Amino acid sequence: MLAEIGLTSLIIAFLLSLFAIGASVIGERSGNDSLVLSGRNAALLTFPAILLSTAVLVVALMTEQYQLSYVWSVTDPQTPPIYRFTALWGSQRGSLLFWSLLMSLFTFGAIWLNWRGERRLMPYAVAYMMATLAFFLGLSLFLENPFDRWWILPDLPEAEQVIESAFIPPNAVAPDVERLSETATGLNPLLRHFGMIIHPPMLYLGFVGFTIPFAFAMSALASGDLSTGWIKATRRWSLISWIFLSLGLILGGRWAYDVLGWGGYWGWDPVENAAFLPWLVGTAFIHSVMIQEKRGMLKVWNMVLIISTFSAVMFGTFATRSGVIESVHSFARSEVGFPMLLFWAVITIISVALLLWRRGQGELQDEHQFANILSRESMFVLNNAVFLLLFFSIFWGSFGLPIASELFMGKEVTIGAETFEYFTVPLFIVMYVLMGIAPLSAWGTMSLKRLGNSTTIPMILTIITIIFAIVVGTNPLIAILGYGIVVFAGYVALYEIYKGAKARHKSIGENWFRATIALFQRNQRRYGGYIVHLGVTIIGIGIIGSTVFQTEAQYTLLRGDSVSIQDYTVQFDNYTRAQAVDGRMMNISEVTVFRDGNPIAELRPRIDDYPDLPMTIAGAHSTLENDFYVLFLGGNAERATFRIYINPLVNLVWWGGIVLMIGTFIAAYPKVTATPSRRKRDEVEAST
Amino acid sequence: MAEMTWEKPKHLEQPKPKNSLERAKFLIGGGLILAAVLYLLISGTMQGARFFITVDEVVNDASYVGQTVRVSGAVVGESIEYDSENAIIRFTIVNIPNEFDDLATALHEALLDPNATRMDIIVEDEAMPDLLQHEAQAILTGELGTDGTFHASELLLKCPSRFEENSPDGISNIPERS
Repeated sequence: MLAEIGLTSLIIAFLLSLFAIGASVIGERSGNDSLVLSGRNAALLTFPAILLSTAVLVVALMTEQYQLSYVWSVTDPQTPPIYRFTALWGSQRGSLLFWSLLMSLFTFGAIWLNWRGERRLMPYAVAYMMATLAFFLGLSLFLENPFDRWWILPDLPEAEQVIESAFIPPNAVAPDVERLSETATGLNPLLRHFGMIIHPPMLYLGFVGFTIPFAFAMSALASGDLSTGWIKATRRWSLISWIFLSLGLILGGRWAYDVLGWGGYWGWDPVENAAFLPWLVGTAFIHSVMIQEKRGMLKVWNMVLIISTFSAVMFGTFATRSGVIESVHSFARSEVGFPMLLFWAVITIISVALLLWRRGQGELQDEHQFANILSRESMFVLNNAVFLLLFFSIFWGSFGLPIASELFMGKEVTIGAETFEYFTVPLFIVMYVLMGIAPLSAWGTMSLKRLGNSTTIPMILTIITIIFAIVVGTNPLIAILGYGIVVFAGYVALYEIYKGAKARHKSIGENWFRATIALFQRNQRRYGGYIVHLGVTIIGIGIIGSTVFQTEAQYTLLRGDSVSIQDYTVQFDNYTRAQAVDGRMMNISEVTVFRDGNPIAELRPRIDDYPDLPMTIAGAHSTLENDFYVLFLGGNAERATFRIYINPLVNLVWWGGIVLMIGTFIAAYPKVTATPSRRKRDEVEAST
Repeated sequence: MAEMTWEKPKHLEQPKPKNSLERAKFLIGGGLILAAVLYLLISGTMQGARFFITVDEVVNDASYVGQTVRVSGAVVGESIEYDSENAIIRFTIVNIPNEFDDLATALHEALLDPNATRMDIIVEDEAMPDLLQHEAQAILTGELGTDGTFHASELLLKCPSRFEENSPDGISNIPERS
């Protein structure tokens, strides 16, 4: 019964989305307003329909309905409730449904918030959003149905008796529930980590979110409303998607760091790269639209960027979902690859054709031209160039080169992590330099002298930092230079905030705290952006520290023995075996970490024996200074072998991520207008 | 509303490019950046490129000896030896054909084929990876030594038969409701 409800509401959602496409396009073209409205309502209704469908799947997962083959494949009777719930996106079929749910939620929000303000854009935007939704619902219904059930056909030969079908086949009987629960496979142990619980939904939210600005951009092209309306309507959607995408990437890194046990967080794995690509082009986009809003420039370019972002999103989804790419993400393999490629091609061809048509009609003329190479708009263009060059380099290394060599040489050629670093590090350096300089340049025109003058104070701070780094013994030169470039960008952000607050403090006489708060309220986007830059600086410091200065060593210790590494000493205390609630055996080693003779942490690195797979769980002592990260490689009560990593500053990567989120949140937060009562409250807050 | 197609330009005092010099600066700057990136891409690819080949190809083509390549093969479970104190992993992989429909089946069949080419692997200074087990696909980067052993510097593993939906074994084990 449960499966029938889920399936029916999924079919209804699919039909609604198809109807919404037709009604919106025909209604708009024929000027039939009631048809447009009915298309809108159908689009709104897809959300409750998919929500019901998803709720059914969640109930099935929680209540162990193993006849549903999806439930059978991702949970077993030992699975704890939290992982039963997250099994919703634990594998292909569930995560496609989850994708659709998020897509319909975002569509619902976009219609709700923008219907009145952007009435002219809405019908085509609805059509585009619904086309994407219909495609994913179609995948769920026809190829990867989460409501498929196991059936037995007793009339057939034994090898062909068991089949999977969403509907009850004639003469079929349901399999025995107990046997089903005994054979259920359970969630991949690699995915049992908090990072994995939230990493996929975050990435999906980012991916799905960028569909909204894309739909509005395409609607601007289709409807001829080529004002900045589409950018204004979708600015927040872009920023919110960007937060989720960033968070998804950072959490993915955190997962790899905690679970994969190699002391790193970014391996240039093709699927990681596929998720990074939309981030790169999306970052270019959120910078570039500012020039169109402020100066009426780069209109065609912004369209190209949003089409590319959408393409990268589709490609990222394809890469994670199709399983055709060699990767640590090889949990999913399926037939959705080809339809996804086809859908992507059709949407891209339509979009590019629309863009070329409008451009051909001369409707996308820029209102200003680039006057000066040091102007802020030029800096933005350079920023775009850097992000796109990163995009192409990473695409080339991950996909272009292997595919091209296979096609033209008959042999696949690949490159390793060190080559990716060789390509990208110079570009990242340019990115940080620009992040430092661009906020100081002015719109329109800028002289080198003025630009030079405005960098004085951040430059002095940077030099002080470099001297400090040398004094504390930082080596080699390349790391010192790296720190210099990265912190310069951060100092510029801080200095700009300081300058703004100082101006208010002087002219209006506000105290520093209020001046800073007011500054952020007055220009959330600009100062929120500086906080984001600060976050990126912090991440940069963490990346340099943890890659250039990582220490790695391996020791075998007898019980009670200890070994020294830098100023630390590690002592092997004990080894025990214990059984966890879900039945797995844990081989736990206990070590004490001393620093300069004082105990600072007791760690329990362990190996968990899952039925098919051992899992190495690191023990880590985390401080802002470094992570002391210990892996238990094997042993017994007498002797044990450990691999130890000291990862300096690695936690700044995560903390920088949080700062980055706060900054984006400030930039995206709905405009706060200071009402009298609010002002009063601010005063109270400021005085306390 | 319907007629509105343009946002009014805010600054009508359109600053035209002062001269072709400014334009030339943009072009030269852009050209330099592009050239630099192309140089990085080409030189990086030339240095870092490795052929991704099969066990058959490495073993039977002497020109690969001593050259860094990437190889993929099926792991023979009983061959795995791990010296945890010295962090040395040894195992044997079996050739997987270039073309296959389904990786899990290809791995399974490769290990059953007595004539499939085999190659011994040694990985030094590496923690024992959780996924290194029978019927895993190992993707190794390294070089074939003159001793016939492949010295891997990088090891990536995939276990398609585990945790995959519709595992055939699981299905056939489900008996009819009695």
